[in-house]
Amino acid sequence: MTRREKARAYAKERGFVVYEAHDLLHIELPLADFREAMAAFKEMGFNYLADVIGIDYLEYPEEKPERFAVVYELVSLPGYKDGDGSRIYPRVWVPEKNPRLPSVTDLWPSANFPEREVFDLFGLVFEGHPDLRKILTPDDYEGHPLRKDHPLGETPTLFKDGRYINPEQFRAGLKGKDKGLTGWRGGRRKGERR
Amino acid sequence: MKPEPKELRVEEMILNMGPQHPSTHGVLRLVVTLYGEEVADVVPHIGYLHTGFEKVMENRTYHQNITFTPRMDYLHSFAHDLAYALSVEKLLGAEVPERARVIRVILNELSRIASHLIFVATGLLDLGAMTPYFYAFRERETILDLFEWVTGQRFHHNYIRIGGLKEDLPEEFVPELEKFLATFDHRVDDYQNLFVGSPIFEGRARGVGVVPPEVAIAHGLTGGSLRASGVNYDVRKAYPYCGYETYDFEVPLGKNGDTWDRMVIRLEEMRQSARIVRQALERLEPGPIRDPNPQFSFPDKKLLDRSMEALIYHFKLATEGFEVPPGEAYVPTESARGELGYYIVADGGSLPYRVKVRTPSFFNLQSLPHAARGHFFQDLVAILASFDPVLGDVDR
Amino acid sequence: MGLDAYERDFRELEKEGILFTTLEKLIAWGRSNSLWPVTFGLACCAIEMMASTDARHDLSRFGSEVFRASPRQADVMIVAGRLSKKMAPVMRRVYDQMADPKWVISMGACASSGGMFNNYAIVQSVDSVVPVDVFVPGCPPRPEALIYAVMQLQKKIRGQAYDEGGRKLPPVEAWAREGL
Repeated sequence: MTRREKARAYAKERGFVVYEAHDLLHIELPLADFREAMAAFKEMGFNYLADVIGIDYLEYPEEKPERFAVVYELVSLPGYKDGDGSRIYPRVWVPEKNPRLPSVTDLWPSANFPEREVFDLFGLVFEGHPDLRKILTPDDYEGHPLRKDHPLGETPTLFKDGRYINPEQFRAGLKGKDKGLTGWRGGRRKGERR
Repeated sequence: MKPEPKELRVEEMILNMGPQHPSTHGVLRLVVTLYGEEVADVVPHIGYLHTGFEKVMENRTYHQNITFTPRMDYLHSFAHDLAYALSVEKLLGAEVPERARVIRVILNELSRIASHLIFVATGLLDLGAMTPYFYAFRERETILDLFEWVTGQRFHHNYIRIGGLKEDLPEEFVPELEKFLATFDHRVDDYQNLFVGSPIFEGRARGVGVVPPEVAIAHGLTGGSLRASGVNYDVRKAYPYCGYETYDFEVPLGKNGDTWDRMVIRLEEMRQSARIVRQALERLEPGPIRDPNPQFSFPDKKLLDRSMEALIYHFKLATEGFEVPPGEAYVPTESARGELGYYIVADGGSLPYRVKVRTPSFFNLQSLPHAARGHFFQDLVAILASFDPVLGDVDR
Repeated sequence: MGLDAYERDFRELEKEGILFTTLEKLIAWGRSNSLWPVTFGLACCAIEMMASTDARHDLSRFGSEVFRASPRQADVMIVAGRLSKKMAPVMRRVYDQMADPKWVISMGACASSGGMFNNYAIVQSVDSVVPVDVFVPGCPPRPEALIYAVMQLQKKIRGQAYDEGGRKLPPVEAWAREGL
């Protein structure tokens, strides 16, 4: 049985939501069982943490359990000992009111930098991280840039002949929120009907 | 009576190898704790090139994002284009025609060779050898000429499209590429003779910066640096994409995981990339260059004069963009530095909801303290050069 | 004909190998033909800057023989690449450490105007941090474009550069602006 199947069986056994989409095996872990499940995955042989992805589902058209999700990418590395190349994508839902979750740096030291990045860009606090501080944005930058309610920070453009373009307005139609300059509301967002 | 020797007081010195430095391969800040000349600890501080790519890519259509992707890893820029296109094509269910796949492989491997040439040039420049820089750049200029023939730009091509490529190859390309490939292997032998075997290189690179395989895997190291430690992990072989399973090439492995291995492996990788390009040239058959699905694929430029539908579709695709059904996709690919992939979250609109780029250099940099501890400060420069970090990749 | 006696003597002496000039022109000639850049490559434009020093587009034949790592020994700072807000104070510090006279070439779209990155992390023009003499458009500018920019800077240093209104551009931008 490949490690992927083992992980799927483990998750089904405990009643976690498991689904497969576009060749990725997603497992949703509740926050309470998170540490235990990740330690179990490490035991199973997923020795390589490829990525820690933070996602802010604030403006997603479908309703999601919580605002933030942190997706981990665990790989059983082929080419080393008996790795078979299985990849799983466990995720944990993090509430907005209390954005704290345990860190996995003791299991996989490669989570050090990416967890700092998720902290910096989203504001999720990883408990147990050896050195949690900002990594990408300047030290005096306030706010968490990749949150959906944080603006992009575009500077309006003033042309030499006096024309003035506000990039946000220019592109407003694409996001579907307001009509912008052309009146077209594009994309399918927040339950909009076509 | 002889005086008793006093206890020497040892003080550690904290040295800042600042963001502006000729040897840090970009704007990387290293805070080094030294005991005399020996490195006790290295703390990398990154973020000096943070451009907010991921936030910007949430505000542009899928097609417009192709202009952003090559600017992250500006050395092997085609790999980013390819990884992004593969992820979006997975979400769309697009099928890339065979000719487009073969050309993608050719350009990807040429870009990889160009990246390794810069690695040879700058890595050896850090060790003090100035001549390989000019030799390697001579080859790189030829490759960039080839790219200019096909795509119009030396790098940052904007040649890939979702579903295929922008346009077909010009006629002069294949003969010029064959001319380049005819001499390339001799040139790689030249580079090999320039530094491998030189006593200075042996002294500075053998046994320096050893990363054992367990430490490497635990810290997320991938790419040539991981293969130097003996782990046979190449995404082109492990999770083949774009037809790589049909090409015959070897993955060079190192034994010790030291700087010598890391640098020499990349020379061998250049030879293997040239081998792949030769095989790809043989199987280049005439055919379509893009998935013909008009929902997301731009119509042929020549049709725009004659066909009203083509004009309308082109206009809609360029202004509104195409819509991608909701889902999350990730396709791992191999860049010159390691495993690269774009995790794209789509919400059904014409803009991506979240784009996370799993860049190799970000993770490779975490192994630097482990490789450099206990070595001299001079070796730190060699070790950093051998990991081949690109700060655009690290900071995004 | 129409040359006065002074001009005729002048030209005859020049034919014999005696050069006449003013001190200002001599110093400007010296400064413009030996511009040593400080290594300030940030991102992709740095690769094109490196390519402009290779054997095909040889920048050192225009005087930029070496790229000095220490700002004290450099004349010109070629800001090659996107300047992030975290890096801006560092850049200002490197600029301040350069010895007068100093010039700045802003290479590429990102350094000149923020380029395609109009967001929270990139300084929208390097001109807001240091006084820029020459802007080079392109993404990335070809090595030939960078060499052209260096040649334009050389023209400016010699006092031969004029803007659209016909006014002479100051040879050293930093000395012409106040409060820098």
